[in-house]
Amino acid sequence: MTISFEDIAENLRRISLSGRLDIAGTDAIDMKFTALTATAERRVVVDLSAVTFLASIGIRSLISNAKALQRRGGKMVLFVGDNVAVSKTLEVTGIDALIPMFTDAAAADQAALA
Amino acid sequence: MASPCLAARSEIAIRADASKVREASAWLENSGQDLGIPPDQINRLDLCLNEALANIICHSGASQASPVHLTLDVSGSVASLTVADSGIPFDPLSAAPKPRASTLDEAEPGGLGLLMMQNFSDQLNYCYRDGRNKLTFSVRWADTH
Repeated sequence: MTISFEDIAENLRRISLSGRLDIAGTDAIDMKFTALTATAERRVVVDLSAVTFLASIGIRSLISNAKALQRRGGKMVLFVGDNVAVSKTLEVTGIDALIPMFTDAAAADQAALA
Repeated sequence: MASPCLAARSEIAIRADASKVREASAWLENSGQDLGIPPDQINRLDLCLNEALANIICHSGASQASPVHLTLDVSGSVASLTVADSGIPFDPLSAAPKPRASTLDEAEPGGLGLLMMQNFSDQLNYCYRDGRNKLTFSVRWADTH
């Protein structure tokens, strides 16, 4: 499991996750993920396009960090690209209705800044 | 590779511990390939397995001294994975479904495991027998033979 980030604009950060977001994978990135989303009024795109496996514990991490960001006036959106396995998991759990999900990277950036 | 017409089985016992979940997933992937289960069906079983093990580790009170038994059965184009633990009796299928949050503010992290098992399996069965919870999830696929 790897995590990296890029500040695309002054108030827009892209956080990229790759590998298995299972119990061990989520445990490995959770503290850094929280730290990277913890900037006040920051808009964040979480790139899940290279996540190979998404368990509910990974979804919990997404929800709790999205909530914390929103409480501070920020916003999180998800970019999944053509990762059908991950987008299906987000759809069946209804998470795509809570955290906007995009297959197009430019649309994700635009929505995060809107 | 096993003939899809024959029934075949693989078994393993693991400790009910978060550090053992990847070992269980690796066993499922290797056994599934050996038994001729298509990769996308192994992935569905793996999603269910991760949620079942997470529930056992977090909620069942199962002693780490008493291992969780995993049994993978394949018959034709149906694969079934049974997860058996000696924790407190709990039928996950009888649990009331969690109401869906409509906003992020209302969303409570957690409670998604059963929803995922219901969505990623074609059939879920539970029984309590011989002092063990036995949860079985099955997937089936189009038989091309």
